[in-house]
Amino acid sequence: MILFLRRVWAFVARDWRLELSYRMQFFLRILSILIVVTTLFFISKIFAGFTDPHFEQWRDPLAAWLTGLAVLNYFMTGFSSLANAIRQEQVQGTLESVLMTPISVPTVIVASSAWDFVQATFFSFLYLLFGWLFFGVHYRGSFVLALFFLLLTTMVLSCLGILSASFAMVFKRGDPFGIFLGTGSALFSGVFFPIQLVSQYAGSGVASISRILPATYGLDGIRRVLIVGQGFSQVREPMVTLLVFLAVLLPFSLWVFGRAVRRAKRDGSLIQY
Amino acid sequence: MNPTFANPEFIKTNGRIAVSVDRLAKTYPVPFLRLKKLLRRKFKPPVDALRGISFDIHEGEIFGLIGPNGAGKTTLTKIIATLVQPTSGQVTVRGHDSVHDDEIVRRNVGLAGAEERSFYFRLTSEQNLLFFARLYGLSGSTARQRIDELLTLFELGELRARRYAELSTGNKQRLSVARAMLANPPILLLDEPTRSLDPLAAARMRATIRSLAQTDGRTVFLTSHNLAEVEELCDRVAIIGKGAIHALDTQAKLRTMHTEEEHVSIGFASLAIVDAERALASSFSRELFVLHAAERRDESVVKFKRAPNDDLLNNLLRVLQESGAVIRSVETERPTLLDVLESYEREKESAS
Repeated sequence: MILFLRRVWAFVARDWRLELSYRMQFFLRILSILIVVTTLFFISKIFAGFTDPHFEQWRDPLAAWLTGLAVLNYFMTGFSSLANAIRQEQVQGTLESVLMTPISVPTVIVASSAWDFVQATFFSFLYLLFGWLFFGVHYRGSFVLALFFLLLTTMVLSCLGILSASFAMVFKRGDPFGIFLGTGSALFSGVFFPIQLVSQYAGSGVASISRILPATYGLDGIRRVLIVGQGFSQVREPMVTLLVFLAVLLPFSLWVFGRAVRRAKRDGSLIQY
Repeated sequence: MNPTFANPEFIKTNGRIAVSVDRLAKTYPVPFLRLKKLLRRKFKPPVDALRGISFDIHEGEIFGLIGPNGAGKTTLTKIIATLVQPTSGQVTVRGHDSVHDDEIVRRNVGLAGAEERSFYFRLTSEQNLLFFARLYGLSGSTARQRIDELLTLFELGELRARRYAELSTGNKQRLSVARAMLANPPILLLDEPTRSLDPLAAARMRATIRSLAQTDGRTVFLTSHNLAEVEELCDRVAIIGKGAIHALDTQAKLRTMHTEEEHVSIGFASLAIVDAERALASSFSRELFVLHAAERRDESVVKFKRAPNDDLLNNLLRVLQESGAVIRSVETERPTLLDVLESYEREKESAS
């Protein structure tokens, strides 16, 4: 376990140092989050007074958007960080050097993504912090329960991220998961508007897409807790759905990633990109 | 021990086998071959990088692999390092299979590749080494101590805080070897370790490699285009071409397998070239020798080939001296690994 943590720490320390070498980018991103939150605050004022009892989570659109963006940022990290890390190592030519060390496949997976999660936690927190600090957004309910939802959904999306990374390992480019899940989650999982609207305007066929996206259940659960103030017994349904996703996807994605590494070694294409 | 290229005369310190390569073959497949066939797209044929090669490397040995570009040197190195999987055959490192026990194999092997892009360009030399040391499982203090030792050993101490991108090619090369030694592995795989070093630095690197094998009992597998370096360092040398091992033995045996002839030059004075030619032609066939003026004034040189221990040198010296020549120098030149390599290339060309 100590060895595992030491290796994860090696990746975090490396990425922290690399990040420090691009200080300007870090501060610009903080600024851009502040600008987005401010913009959303003004847009939310357009909807002031319009409340629809069907959309309980959207009574305060700014709160809904900020939780949506904070959570989407985290989900996208879970989904894309490993594939990005693998691709980055391939482009830099360092993947072989890393895989030359006695490091196991699961360690590579966790360690490569670790820094991205540290960063995503910080930036997601900033969305919520700026909303609370400057624009009077109030959150209720249990933060622990919301964090549990966040963790669970991120783990499910990380499994999809592992599949995406497997794709990058073998095919190098043209990852279909990124297209479907990246853009699909933003559109169909209720980040910017209630998913009920999709059903209302595009029919139940199109709306069913949101039901197969894990982000939908994660976001629904987190908003129910943070905005509506629901407790554990009321959010059991999305939680169980996420656990089923995890039970199926985790072993499958690890198996696929192991196969992808072996395939790249067989093709001699570890450092090709 | 493999039946192929086993040399009973070669005895190392403990006789144990560090790396065993058994009927190893590697064919790089055509990506998505079935799909390309289905779509009737053109594709290049699969590349046979290694064709069933077998040999053993002993513990404590410096083993050299030479051959032209595309011969299969890098593929073989990467298979031993577990970075590429063989199509058939097996590599075992201290008894562990490179495919099934790859993690154990990697603990036993350090690789310094020829690829310059294998470090993080925006990190310093020390930060790069620290990252890899942690991946090898070294704790913070042990890692720093080891890094200090290696930076000193490879004369990189003053460059420890410099970004990798700012290092010269030679220093990058040295850092690569230092990284290979972070976990103190019993086997080092060095792919052209002195490729970009200046002559003095290259000599120091060779001395380091030699001491690693002699003092620490480490096994070194070395590929190089620098044949003089291979001659200087390696206990045994394998010649590889088009994925097959053409020859493997000690350097002395490789030379004699190629040709036993020595090139001899005799420098002499006090005898005109014309007179020397007349005297030599009266005793030997004219095809046996070549005469020309030496760089030094009033001196001439006669060149010829001889088999070791024959009487030709003695007889030629006698004829020259009896004709009034004063012998100034006698130089003999034995065949080099370059001659051996070239002869295999010639054989290959004539066969094809």
